[in-house]
Amino acid sequence: MNSKTRALAFLFAVPLLLILFLFEVAPLLAVAWNSLQSDDGMTLSHYVEILSSGFHRNAFQTSFLISAVTSIIGVGLALPIANLLRTMPGNLQQVVLTYSNIGSNFTGFPLAFAFIIMFGLSGSFTLLLAKAGLIDQFNIYSTGGLVLVYAYLQVQLAVLLLFPSLGALTPEIEESAALVGASRLAFWWRVGLPILAPSLIGSFILLFANAMGTYATAFALVGGNANLVTLRIGELAAGDVFSDPQLADALATLLVLVLTVPVVVEQTLLRRRYA
Amino acid sequence: MSRTLRKPILGNPAWLIIGVFVVLQLLPVAAVALNAFATDWNGTVLPSGFTTDWALRIFADPRFDQALVHSLVIAFGATVVSALVTVPAILVGHCYLPLLDRWLGALVILPYAVPGVVLALGLLRIYSGQYGIQLNGTPLILIFGYVPLGASFYYVPIKNNLRAITVKDIIEAGYLVGASDLAIMVRVILPSVLRGLAIGLVMNFTLAISEFVYANLLVGGLYPTLQVFMNVLREGSGRLTSVVVTVYFIIVWALSTAVIAALTERKDKK
Repeated sequence: MNSKTRALAFLFAVPLLLILFLFEVAPLLAVAWNSLQSDDGMTLSHYVEILSSGFHRNAFQTSFLISAVTSIIGVGLALPIANLLRTMPGNLQQVVLTYSNIGSNFTGFPLAFAFIIMFGLSGSFTLLLAKAGLIDQFNIYSTGGLVLVYAYLQVQLAVLLLFPSLGALTPEIEESAALVGASRLAFWWRVGLPILAPSLIGSFILLFANAMGTYATAFALVGGNANLVTLRIGELAAGDVFSDPQLADALATLLVLVLTVPVVVEQTLLRRRYA
Repeated sequence: MSRTLRKPILGNPAWLIIGVFVVLQLLPVAAVALNAFATDWNGTVLPSGFTTDWALRIFADPRFDQALVHSLVIAFGATVVSALVTVPAILVGHCYLPLLDRWLGALVILPYAVPGVVLALGLLRIYSGQYGIQLNGTPLILIFGYVPLGASFYYVPIKNNLRAITVKDIIEAGYLVGASDLAIMVRVILPSVLRGLAIGLVMNFTLAISEFVYANLLVGGLYPTLQVFMNVLREGSGRLTSVVVTVYFIIVWALSTAVIAALTERKDKK
């Protein structure tokens, strides 16, 4: 391969690099740059305002908690489901994975609406569960409602992410464990979980970032009523009453920083492990 | 096979658990579909009767036709544009330019750490005409804006396909028989990543037709999509919204199933 071939090859990548710069890198830089601007020049005042505001700190806390809880639920339920799925016939595996793909994209308005029908004030399941005496009342337009809806998405996304990595537990490994008399529990604790640890952590971080960044589903379900970072950003960017674009930019930059740390750490850890 | 270590299929609770999982996955869709055809569903577990009135009323609404056309234009547009720019870059990166490949790997992961609402803010800042470029309010901002969001859906499965073949040997063998680089790419490498490409196409289409944040913040009522139309309808009767959601779901489901079925058939033939 000579340098002329390489130069020609690079030409084929130029359109993508141009689009990635114009519609991914540049907007991100614009947000970070604008977050440092005020009418009088450069300033950190927007960050000071956010960090000293209980309301905005609370938004980060709420987003963080909902994301952490639903990511744990997602990975925790998806691991046994994905593992059982491995024992199923190939056709059924395809069907379940197809639905998981559609399901994890079934976000925003359609999803919120479906859950309002099922768990709204007079939703079918609210009525059924109340009749069975299991719940007194359930308010879907609340933090609890958000956890329920997010969890639905997270489990399906986690099944998609974890299923391929379970291939690492080869029949040979399971048979060797069985030969030395390891119980199922001992097998998972001593062999299965350690082998899967990188993909479990990786999936958890992707789920966490996914939940922290969720806007459409939360907006459709609770409007501005829940105090989530993404909802505050949307409100400050486009709201008529609360509009403050530079504050929105600062909130957005902080959110990106919060998410970049785990994603970068995870990527470097994985690289080192498999290098 | 370790399957012999497992319990026989009958009496295996695995089937029950997977069955329950599939039912739960489909439950929200079923609820919306029921609601779309319900005469009255208030204070009861199931609707009291069924009707096609709501569906007919939506199909007669010109705003629905408009939103459906807009969504399809954007979904097909974004899928075609993203495939045309992303796939060649992935192929040349993997085969000729390792440094580019590493950069692409990082750039396609970036949207996972940068939520859509953050990128939407930035796009709002840049393409609203302040710098002489007015893309916001037009479908173009969505078609181009969705390329970075969906790039990983091509990158991951296509890289998996590429890792399964020995690209270096194939290229050298190609040189030996006098084939040009372009011919090797188009006739040998490209066919070997068709499965990954198909998965990427479906996932990009699904993304583009499902996306709400960009569609609402950057374009909104100037070129309303199905998602934006649902948001407008939510003030009114839930039945009408349900019909729109059901139509949206049928489009996504039919397409995914068709492509997966085609892929499975290919595999069986081999």
